[in-house]
Amino acid sequence: MTDPLALDPVLPPSERSRLAHNDEALSHGERYAAFEAHVTGGGKVEAGDWMPDEYRTGVLRFVEMHANSELMGVLPEREWILRAPTLRRKLALTAKVQDEVGHAQLLYRVAEDLGKPREHMLDDLLAGKTKFHNVFHYPTRTWGDVGIIAWLVDAAAIVAQQALRDSSYAPYARTMRKICWEESVHIMHGRDVVLTLVNGTPAQSELAQEALDRWWGPLMQMHGPRTPRDKDRDLHWRIKAKSSEELRQEFLSIYVPRLREIGLRIPDPDLRRDEATGVWSYAEPDWDELRTVVTNHGPMSQERLAFRRLNRDQSAWVRHAVLGVPIAA
Amino acid sequence: MTDEAPESASVDGPPATVRQEPWEVFRQEKEGDPMTHGGSVMAPDAELAMHYARELYGRRQESSRLWVVRRADIGVLEDPDLLQPPLDRSFKKPGGYVMRDKLADARARTGATKKVASDR
Amino acid sequence: MTTTRLGLAAAFPPDTLHALEGLLGAMADDELVLGYWDSEWTGIAPMLEEDVAMSSLAQDEIGHARALYALLGELRDEDPDHLAYDRDVADLRHARLLDHPRTDWAFSIARRWLYDEADAVRLEALAGSAFSPLAELVGKIRREEVYHRLHATAWLRRLADADGEPRERLLAAWRTLLPDAATVFTPLDGEQRLVAAGVIAATNGELETRWRQDIGGTCRELGLAVPGPAADPMHGRTTHGEAVAWLWGEATMVRRLDPEATW
Repeated sequence: MTDPLALDPVLPPSERSRLAHNDEALSHGERYAAFEAHVTGGGKVEAGDWMPDEYRTGVLRFVEMHANSELMGVLPEREWILRAPTLRRKLALTAKVQDEVGHAQLLYRVAEDLGKPREHMLDDLLAGKTKFHNVFHYPTRTWGDVGIIAWLVDAAAIVAQQALRDSSYAPYARTMRKICWEESVHIMHGRDVVLTLVNGTPAQSELAQEALDRWWGPLMQMHGPRTPRDKDRDLHWRIKAKSSEELRQEFLSIYVPRLREIGLRIPDPDLRRDEATGVWSYAEPDWDELRTVVTNHGPMSQERLAFRRLNRDQSAWVRHAVLGVPIAA
Repeated sequence: MTDEAPESASVDGPPATVRQEPWEVFRQEKEGDPMTHGGSVMAPDAELAMHYARELYGRRQESSRLWVVRRADIGVLEDPDLLQPPLDRSFKKPGGYVMRDKLADARARTGATKKVASDR
Repeated sequence: MTTTRLGLAAAFPPDTLHALEGLLGAMADDELVLGYWDSEWTGIAPMLEEDVAMSSLAQDEIGHARALYALLGELRDEDPDHLAYDRDVADLRHARLLDHPRTDWAFSIARRWLYDEADAVRLEALAGSAFSPLAELVGKIRREEVYHRLHATAWLRRLADADGEPRERLLAAWRTLLPDAATVFTPLDGEQRLVAAGVIAATNGELETRWRQDIGGTCRELGLAVPGPAADPMHGRTTHGEAVAWLWGEATMVRRLDPEATW
């Protein structure tokens, strides 16, 4: 007969299966060490758990930039909703932009549950204190842009988002799974638009090629400069799992063949894949351009922020009436 | 729950006058499935919470049922003393009944060499 | 399916068929123009959750328009996108209620409510249509409209019951919309034939009366004027303003690059 006490004796408080970092009896240093061990060992964090300030700030900054990007990312595509050339395309594009708004909602909710109110995040975005991704600072000039963005910008985003599905911050990880599922439809919509163009008239084909020529640079900058793994705190805390370069390589591996097989030229003569290692080499992205753009000096940065500010001010009365949000002085 | 008091007002939560709160949305994928947690929406009351739940968790015809509940009304149990108590409870699980050796002894006595078809 | 629908339509004399095409075109244009205005809220609505909701409503309207153009397209053997887009703005036949731009949130809500309640009366009169493909489509549209009317009413009440700016904006919108509210019921050419053939259960005049009765209670309860007859009723579907001219320019901009191409 098994001895119930021998199998799993009652342990003293500090050794029980309670997450040590949540134990208020421990010192800050002990909690920090326990948290770090937990997270670097693959453990998950929920909104109500104790977190070191560095982790909470790091997650909030990461999620907030993501939320801001979804919100600002609406604007380049929004104007084409009215201009879509068929009823089905209009429905598809409206639904896609709607999804981006929905993603902003999901992500702002995650950030709100970390303690920062939505109105404060919008204040900081519009004041230029927080950032949004580079690709959303550029103009959209033609229907070709609509297809290229929906296909390739969303593809580059999904490569990053798939890697976030196992983030240590569980509410964010769960949101990423929902977002990835929804984004996969956008990529199909974008690819369908581009394929229809390249299979169409010479003028239509040219729309797609010309758009790709303009968007390739920003796309290559999108995942960011290479940073050494050991200096990347977001990697350390497992907020994200892959480095910028890993994401860029993954994007190139999947999408360069798909672009080439339909006859689109990629405007980088240095782009080539090492057959032995599978590693892509490419013309060095313009990191100065990236820095300029994400600090809100891109071609459309100020105009889009101003547009957001205007619409927010014009609809402030609704939030005030329905939610009691104070109208700014 | 942070390791030090927040420095700025932005982590104190929304001002008391803002009349919105989180509502948790549970969804059922298809008939007969369990209700699973989908996410949350911010809304000032139950009526708009229902609209927003439908939009965020049902606009693609992806759910056959939604439950919408104020987060404040949900009770949370996560105390490991209650959910993961330390003493042996193996008698409550299939893994607590290992019969391999006893079966081997019994079969040796009867001379049975093959497993009976109904053995798992 | 096309043959069956054409076969069904062949049961109607040419004048009745012509009137039916006019009805479908008017309904499709109503849904199309409203859908376009309300799709403008995508990305810039007052609250994120509400943004997603309004976008769904706009997509539903476009979806209804698409189905109606498809039905009309089968009767006329024409492509639905061609029917919808390859026209001048002067050829649009939407009600003047829908001619106004989206303006502000109160205006959009007020206009949606007035339109959805009018559309509900029209759809009810088509639910048992002798033209069975239309009856079938209307059945589906009515199910989607349940959500639309819930949303519109919820917001109309919130704005009407809130003192100060929300109610003032609603009243301002109401004043602008009232002369055009009844244009949804602008008499259509040959509508008597449609009633006689059982395609629609009542004339536009009768439907307008029913609509006014239906919404009277809510209007009085919320302190809003009950809409009277349309100003300039004979041109309720044929006069269009600058806002719609701008909208149509946007809507056809890409397509006009090459209307014959596949997009």
